[in-house]
Amino acid sequence: MPIVTIHPTGEVIYLEPDETVLSGLYKAGYAYTIGCRRGGCAICKVDCHEGSFTYNRPVADSVITAEESSDGTCLSCRAVPDSDITIELRGENVRLVNPFLRQLNDKARQRAEQYAASTAAAQGVTASARTSPTTSPS
Amino acid sequence: MAVMRMGYVHARVTDLAEAKHHYANTLGLYETLATDGKIFFKGWDEWDHHSVVLEEGGVGVVKYGFKVEYESDIDLIEKRAREFGLTVERMSAGENPEVSDGIRFTAPSEHIFEVYHAQTVIGTEVGTHNPEAFPRHLVGVGVPALDHSLILAEDVRTMENMFKHVFDFFPTERVQTDLEDDDAHYIATWMTSNNQIHQIAVLEGPQGKLHHFAFKLQDWTEIGRAADIMTMDDVPIDIGPTRHGITRGQTIYFFDPSGNRNEVFAGGYPAYRDRPINKWTPDQIAKGIFYHAREINERFTTVST
Ligand code: FES
Ligand SMILES: [Fe+2]
Repeated sequence: MPIVTIHPTGEVIYLEPDETVLSGLYKAGYAYTIGCRRGGCAICKVDCHEGSFTYNRPVADSVITAEESSDGTCLSCRAVPDSDITIELRGENVRLVNPFLRQLNDKARQRAEQYAASTAAAQGVTASARTSPTTSPS
Repeated sequence: MAVMRMGYVHARVTDLAEAKHHYANTLGLYETLATDGKIFFKGWDEWDHHSVVLEEGGVGVVKYGFKVEYESDIDLIEKRAREFGLTVERMSAGENPEVSDGIRFTAPSEHIFEVYHAQTVIGTEVGTHNPEAFPRHLVGVGVPALDHSLILAEDVRTMENMFKHVFDFFPTERVQTDLEDDDAHYIATWMTSNNQIHQIAVLEGPQGKLHHFAFKLQDWTEIGRAADIMTMDDVPIDIGPTRHGITRGQTIYFFDPSGNRNEVFAGGYPAYRDRPINKWTPDQIAKGIFYHAREINERFTTVST
């Protein structure tokens, strides 16, 4: 259940397992510049600052060059986060186009965070240690 | 001499299995051959062996094949291509499975064009003897045939000149900065050799790129039904159903599973060599492209493969 954080505006968006960044953002009520949604047109590139992701399909060399495959370029319609990631859009911000979807996503994220916290607690790790590394475990 | 039609488009796809699902099960093309990492398809109302070739690896278009009426047309087109300054090579029969010998050249736009005079004839799915109106077990949209393609090129006027000189095509519509051709910069052109409103169109943009290739449908009803099926199969629709002001065709733009843009295209008025060209000025291009929205979505000019 990766969380995508958008730099610098700070939106946090919850993704279902195996969901692409593009799909997750749109399902959370946001829009930004996209095209084919199928990995072919290269227009949905964003920059990934933290965390890693995996492409769920082969991506053409003409879409992501060899250099781009290691410089943090993220083809958002094919990228599935491996963990929580932080991304930044290129030359624009996401636009909230559906506040209802945003609310649903917020709730799903809170539920997922609570679940993760309780699982972590059951494993002997406190929730505060998980969500905030600066808080010392008690 | 006569180029009869755009006979085939050969495109790249990132995942052949997913592509096959789209072209066979959503669009309803018939697979006629699978060999060497490629799949060949035809529409139900096409008689030649194939009109679509998909090759695994990458996206975009590999090449186009244009079919001429007579074998002797090949020599004539070769001569005209050389006159135009193109480098032409001969291709032998079988270089493309089930396709005759012919020629191949790279256009100023960097697209590769082949010209051939015969393909193995398979026959339409309804045959020629007292045929039914359509096959009753069509799959998905059930497109009958390939129709046309829109390609991108840096120099549209040169491409128009090439198609005129080499293929004896004529433009039916154009987007140009001035109604006087001599003073105008050509932004886009729609061209054909016969009554079909366009077989190829060229829009200003990056070299060698594919904007879309299109399949024929009859009318609004079929376009509407095609859109329903695209929804059922989760096909990303770019725009439509709507109408193009240019050509008057009814349309849906959508994407295949590799992000190549496809279109289903219905209607369009009959083209004639002596019909005056419809000219669109850049301020009205949005209405020309999408007649109802009258707004060009940003994808129209920025998204290609
Ligand atoms: S939207 Fe076309 S590559 Fe992502
Ligand atoms: Fe078209």
